[in-house]
Amino acid sequence: MTTLIQAKGLSKSYGSHQALKSVDFSVERGRIVGLVGPNGAGKTTILKSILGLTSYEGDLKVLGLNPERQRHQIMQKVSFIADVAVLPRWLRVADAVEFVTNVHPNFKVERAKHFLSKTSIPMNARVKELSKGMVAQLHLALVMSIDAELLVLDEPTLGLDILYRKEFYNQLLAEFFDEGRSILVTTHQIEEIENLLTDLLFIRDGKIVLDATMEEVAEKYIEVMVSKDDAAKAEAMNPVMQRDVFGRKVYLFEGVSREELEPLGELHSPSVADLFVAKMKEGK
Amino acid sequence: MSIAMVNSFKALVKREYWEHKGAMFYTPAIMAAVFAGLMILGALTGDHITVNSGHGFSIIDHLPQAMEQFENLGEEERSKGVQIGLYGAIVLFGFVMLIVSLFYALGSLYDERKDRSILFWKSLPISDTATVLSKFLAVTFVIPVFYSAIIAAFQLFLLLFATVAAWFGGSSGIAIWASSNLFGVIFNSFFAIVTASLWLAPLWAWLMFASSWAKKVAFLWGTLPIFMIVVAEGWIFQTTRFIEIVGDRIANGFVILNSNMHYMVGGDMFEIDVQRWYEVFGNIEFWVGLIVSGIFLAGAIYTRRYRDES
Repeated sequence: MTTLIQAKGLSKSYGSHQALKSVDFSVERGRIVGLVGPNGAGKTTILKSILGLTSYEGDLKVLGLNPERQRHQIMQKVSFIADVAVLPRWLRVADAVEFVTNVHPNFKVERAKHFLSKTSIPMNARVKELSKGMVAQLHLALVMSIDAELLVLDEPTLGLDILYRKEFYNQLLAEFFDEGRSILVTTHQIEEIENLLTDLLFIRDGKIVLDATMEEVAEKYIEVMVSKDDAAKAEAMNPVMQRDVFGRKVYLFEGVSREELEPLGELHSPSVADLFVAKMKEGK
Repeated sequence: MSIAMVNSFKALVKREYWEHKGAMFYTPAIMAAVFAGLMILGALTGDHITVNSGHGFSIIDHLPQAMEQFENLGEEERSKGVQIGLYGAIVLFGFVMLIVSLFYALGSLYDERKDRSILFWKSLPISDTATVLSKFLAVTFVIPVFYSAIIAAFQLFLLLFATVAAWFGGSSGIAIWASSNLFGVIFNSFFAIVTASLWLAPLWAWLMFASSWAKKVAFLWGTLPIFMIVVAEGWIFQTTRFIEIVGDRIANGFVILNSNMHYMVGGDMFEIDVQRWYEVFGNIEFWVGLIVSGIFLAGAIYTRRYRDES
């Protein structure tokens, strides 16, 4: 099975508010997918639907199973970190390892001990005695020791300082990720993970506005740095966004070929953050 | 049930102990230590108590007399006296246990939502049924077992304390041990405590249910519906049946807890019919209570499963 998540017409309403408006997407094995959108766009609703934490309408399969009815089986092969602050404060590190060992059939306790031994976390400490960064390390050590096929991360590095944030993703790549697994991640600090991602999913007002691999994005979206004199020529080609940089103008084009753009100036691939801003402003 | 499921359930119960070690173990242990300490301190410093300023009253001087009186009693009377003293420990510890159980049940499915740790627990393959049942087992069985163990230890201390007092009274104290029926007392204490908690199971299950859907202040969500039913019943039918049933249930819980003492004293400690712990299992109301508990627990499981944590 290469498709880990398949959503067709996924919808969710909270009262009269439609959080998800018939969304289609899929996540294949061996991918790292960034789910990006402003607050309230429906990111968390998608993640909660996948994890069987909320009801939904439409068709959703996770590892071929129905998250609403087969949550228990799904969670044997799916891990998630909701955010760093959810480990109970009273729990001792050693007890946390013991607990997960006893309840999780795919947990490798030796791996967890190995990861923890590389940190300065004392085994007999309680979570409340650890720094925020250490709690994140502990949570990551537990999750990476689960032989999961899908890892869901919802703002996993929120509130951590930059050193821990970098370390968090480096470790995930080095110790966990391989072609047999997938990671689905939401974050506000998109610039920190854009080099990790293989796929992008942009969501706005409950609708997917971009669903592409990074290669497709690099092909389809091109930024051109244009001198002021050529600005009119560039604007005639319908750029999706423009901004000013050091007295020059940068235009973002969608679906315009390199050959057409090259005469205007220097070509770049846009950053995910710039692309995101463009997609969120589109049509507004 | 597979071995994995059993291990998983054991881990869940253990987790409850880790989280509530204070209420389950330290509270009764410290209580016992403080009482024991006060009694020893009282015996050491209080050998001269001054009554009504001036008239000295020495406990130690009176010990030989007291021992003589004790040993002159009939065997049955002696046995009664000692066992009443031992069962007395349940009155206080048992009351504290019920209060602790009440707060445990109220927090059981609310605290994890308040601190959001439910998102961690739910990231593991544990069913909501197993989680809720582990918490129900903790309140109806694990807490009573801890309190029983501490009570047994305290009863043992009472006997040792009385023995030392007997030595000061010039007696060997063997009569006290012979009259104590210690194993019988410990056995009956244990079952009275567990049975009382099981008798109150519908109360614990109701509070767990309230705990699973309380948005804030779980205590209010646990008590307000009861008051609303009482008020509605009074208004519509001009009766008070519901509160009588609830009150009766809770009162009987206390009574079962202290039923050993009641019969030892002579059967006139409480003015209602008192069930001995083994009679409880023959009472249809007990089984109805368990069925009602099952309904509330099903509600709690459903709520925990489908509640949207946003």
